Amino acid sequence: MNIRKILTKEVISLDMQGENKEQVIEEMLDMLTAAGKVTNRKAAAKAIWDREKKMSTGMLNGIAIPHGKSDCVDSLVVAVGVHKNGVEFQSVDRQPAHFLIMTLSPANRTGPHIQFLAEISRQLNDASIRDRILGATTKDDVIDILTG
Amino acid sequence: MNLKNNRGSDSLSRRLIVVIGVLLCAFPFAAWAVTVTGGNGEHGNDLDPIVRLMLQLAVILIAANTGGYLFRRFLHLPSVIGEVTVGILIGPYALGGFDWPLFGTPFPLGDGMIPVTTELYGIAVLASILLLFVSGLETDVGMFLRYSVKGTVVGIGGILFSFLFGVWCALWFNLADSFMHPTALFLGAISTATSVGITARILSEHKRMDSPEGVTILSAAVLDDVLCIIILAIVTGITRVEQAGGVISWSEIGWIAGKGILFWLILTSIGLLTAKRMARFVKTVRNPSTIAYISLGLALFMAGLSEMAGLAMIIGAYISGLAFSQTDLVDLIQNQLHNVYHALVPIFFCVMGMLVDVSAMQGMLVFGSVYTVIAVASKVLGCGAAGWVTGFNARGSLRIGLGMLPRGEVALIVAGIGLAAGAIPTEIFGAAIMMTLLTTLAAPPMLNIFLRGGPGMRTKNVEDEPAASNITLTFPSYDIAEFLMNRLVKAFRIEEFFVYRLPVDIPTYRVRKDELSFTIVQDADKVEITIMAEGADIARYILLEELLSLQDLFEACSEIKGLDEMRLDIIKGAIEPTPAPEEKA
Repeated sequence: MNIRKILTKEVISLDMQGENKEQVIEEMLDMLTAAGKVTNRKAAAKAIWDREKKMSTGMLNGIAIPHGKSDCVDSLVVAVGVHKNGVEFQSVDRQPAHFLIMTLSPANRTGPHIQFLAEISRQLNDASIRDRILGATTKDDVIDILTG
Repeated sequence: MNLKNNRGSDSLSRRLIVVIGVLLCAFPFAAWAVTVTGGNGEHGNDLDPIVRLMLQLAVILIAANTGGYLFRRFLHLPSVIGEVTVGILIGPYALGGFDWPLFGTPFPLGDGMIPVTTELYGIAVLASILLLFVSGLETDVGMFLRYSVKGTVVGIGGILFSFLFGVWCALWFNLADSFMHPTALFLGAISTATSVGITARILSEHKRMDSPEGVTILSAAVLDDVLCIIILAIVTGITRVEQAGGVISWSEIGWIAGKGILFWLILTSIGLLTAKRMARFVKTVRNPSTIAYISLGLALFMAGLSEMAGLAMIIGAYISGLAFSQTDLVDLIQNQLHNVYHALVPIFFCVMGMLVDVSAMQGMLVFGSVYTVIAVASKVLGCGAAGWVTGFNARGSLRIGLGMLPRGEVALIVAGIGLAAGAIPTEIFGAAIMMTLLTTLAAPPMLNIFLRGGPGMRTKNVEDEPAASNITLTFPSYDIAEFLMNRLVKAFRIEEFFVYRLPVDIPTYRVRKDELSFTIVQDADKVEITIMAEGADIARYILLEELLSLQDLFEACSEIKGLDEMRLDIIKGAIEPTPAPEEKA
């Protein structure tokens, strides 16, 4: 899977500001909308929140993967956010989330959607990669680390 | 209910046999009609070769499949034995060689080394290529690598003993004047090949597939196939030089062996290195059957290439299968080729039976019996001793020896190649077929006895465990487990995985994509996913998402309107409600 094709600079934030789960999700949706990846912001927000209400996507080791399926997108869209201070995300290990990966995928179309999430999460499971991302100064660095 | 089903099944079998019998009886009349209307000769012996081939294939398909079915159904023997036996019965040396009234000779003797027509032998060769291509596809390289130490020692032990004893047997009976004589070499090569299909079934029945003996046998069988095919390459090369009148020196043998191994290594390396790229290219087609038949086309191309390089065609076919076994297309190809495989392969076994000269065999019965005993003893000794060396006790070593005992399709193919090359005469070919059938028959009952009892290792098995983990989920009922299983299958397909149901009794799916591979099994109310470490994350995420959607569905069920109301909606269309009496008035 070619992460570089899906992950572009305009959907990466190295300085997430939101102080809670709602705010960071809105911040990431703003990023996707500004980049032109999402045109129907309301539908995109609904898909993310529908999934989030069923079970929080806060995982372990500061990783959160808010995601959803919606026909408001034609193909997989991704946003990556780095929150230096961490934000409460009802994670499995109750630790604040520092690494936020948001994906939206079309509801009825085949493609490696979950596989993308799994691949990014697998990389972030490596503590040294997490440290390098936290220390990254440019968005290119983040892309290089995740695709390295 | 079961009794009724059994009766139904028996009655169905009887009816099937009657139908097939009628078809077989009708065949001479059809052939007679052809000769009368088409003027193809008084007894049909001057039939157009293509018409003859069609009629021969008709007889073979009906007879081989019936024979296979009857042996499996009533004698509880592998269908391959039935197919070969039927081949002996209807072949040119038995019933097929008679001049039948109104019909002529259905299987006249061929002119060359092969006693059937070239056209029919061509179809059998095509079937053997398909057989070896599928054998290559089924090769579990991962299993071999995990148990490579024990597998290698056992595989080499079995090959070495059985080859040397096979050659020695030829010398003992004065069938060859030297170790390098083509007959001796082919008798050695024929006795090396193991067919573990039957062993695998018995191991599975005894729940011993993942026992140290089970994995060692399955791993050794991978090496066994590879080594047997390399031996065939060398033996074919030496035979060609011998037959061309050349005198073989040790340096020439070294050169032929080196060439055989080099060709094998080059083709295998090219195959394995380019397999994924080839698979990506083939996948652009997106149509499963087109993908499968392009792959088969590549196998046929490789088969032709290896024959042109002076080796046997099956070598190229096996290497092609081995290459594709490392891609995520393996299950798709097997699935798509399933029907053509089952149509062609019985023809191959039946034609192999046809090549047996029963009358010439009479003088060879003693040799055939001794060759069989030696073939049994050499495998049991060779593999058993190797098993002992790698830490098995006497019981475990015997289990391994017996598990490696059955010869099968590869032995038959090697024998057929020897016969076609003129390296072994028909009577010795018959003895080779006899050995193949008897070893296949002998292994299951002995394995059934010796698989009972305690552990087979002298010490605790310290072989590396496969890096797999299992997730088992238990649901309130079989139906819910089945529902989730289907959802999982769909979810993996949406993620562009190749998902195929395996032909086993309990619902089992193999899921593959590039290097990722999972197995999903539904056992009653449980769903179990076996995950190799590499793809654990994706499987866990998909499972989690499907469990969540299952929860959604249950909640949605509570919103379904009342059952009575639904019943009315459903029934209303079928039965028109009668108006009440006051309404009529």
